[in-house]
Amino acid sequence: MAHPTQLGFQDAASPVMEELLHFHDHALMIVLLISTLVLYIITAMVSTKLTNKYILDSQEIEIVWTILPAVILVLIALPSLRILYLMDEINDPHLTIKAMGHQWYWSYEYTDYENLGFDSYMVPTQDLAPGQFRLLETDHRMVVPMESPVRVLVSAEDVLHSWAVPSLGVKMDAVPGRLNQAAFIASRPGVFYGQCSEICGANHSFMPIVVEAVPLEHFENWSSLMLEDA
Amino acid sequence: QHTLEGNRDHTAVIHICLSIYLDRYFQTLYSSLTVVVLVHLSSDVDVIDCSVPQYNNRLDTPLPDVPFVRNLSAEQKKLKEKEKGSWTQLTKEEKLALYRLTHELSYAEMRQGSKEWMTVLGGIFIFLGFTGLLVWWQRVYVYGDVPHTLSEESVAQQTQRMIDMRVNPVHGFSHKWDYEKKQWK
Repeated sequence: MAHPTQLGFQDAASPVMEELLHFHDHALMIVLLISTLVLYIITAMVSTKLTNKYILDSQEIEIVWTILPAVILVLIALPSLRILYLMDEINDPHLTIKAMGHQWYWSYEYTDYENLGFDSYMVPTQDLAPGQFRLLETDHRMVVPMESPVRVLVSAEDVLHSWAVPSLGVKMDAVPGRLNQAAFIASRPGVFYGQCSEICGANHSFMPIVVEAVPLEHFENWSSLMLEDA
Repeated sequence: QHTLEGNRDHTAVIHICLSIYLDRYFQTLYSSLTVVVLVHLSSDVDVIDCSVPQYNNRLDTPLPDVPFVRNLSAEQKKLKEKEKGSWTQLTKEEKLALYRLTHELSYAEMRQGSKEWMTVLGGIFIFLGFTGLLVWWQRVYVYGDVPHTLSEESVAQQTQRMIDMRVNPVHGFSHKWDYEKKQWK
């Protein structure tokens, strides 16, 4: 989850998110270099007393400042496309979960082996236990086994929603009547928070997502318990 | 002045041509065109448009297109005649007077700027202060209480839970906590 006054990304909990972090560092460095250069040029132009009213052609610099930005754009595009295709690779998930968006909660269905389904409502602020996080906690978490490829099929029952968990590097729109596939691998155990990312009505800000990555045995125990309760 | 004489003849010719070749369907256009043309015929009227050479005070044009003082008095004309001779004969006051005939402002005067920025800055601060008062009043009289999770005790409990959960353990939050010594690094 994010901590107060955080500016950067949350630490990556999946390999794809790690790649995205590195790409962001790369692109941001280029952006900062260009912005610094432009800011320097602006201050130099504004603070000089020299004038030249008779400048005409300048072929050499025109060529340079056409070719150089094209090169920079290619240097940004290549890592970007690499990650894009990395995210789309054919993977072999160990588990498939359906995340259905409703107004205003998520429901998760684990139907690979048994029929396990449950709703995940936000814990209201007045019902929070000490230490719980406001607007982020839910009554039931989506538990997944760690270090296993997981496929999430995202859809919606009424209006558009979006299933997003920043630490896992996942965001996928939930479109009614459509199945969108997102995949991730939780590289470390932990609890990862996210929030609905598509405006969906009055309580759009109050339908969070909580993913809990646990070792496989714990996951199996949890799913047995959930099936008993159901 | 030589150029203006030429312009006067030129515009007179145009006037005659227009009166011959335009028919009554373009009478409004003709009449407005005539006004502009007639104005140019009399060089005593100051028409400020870009078809006429103008004086300007600019740092990058040391010699503007026309002198600042166009209509010289008799005394000024005498000075101009004296200028045609050797410049070592001119006194300092005469040189300054000649400068002020051709230029309105000196370079130092063009560069000096004004004290307007103090007024602007003061106005900005006044408005910011007023806005601050409005915001403070709003905070006291309009906003309700903050949620209980923002109390110091609750924040401490949440922070402890974040440390226990190992939130952002790589570079972020929990990375800064020393788990052996149980204190921030």
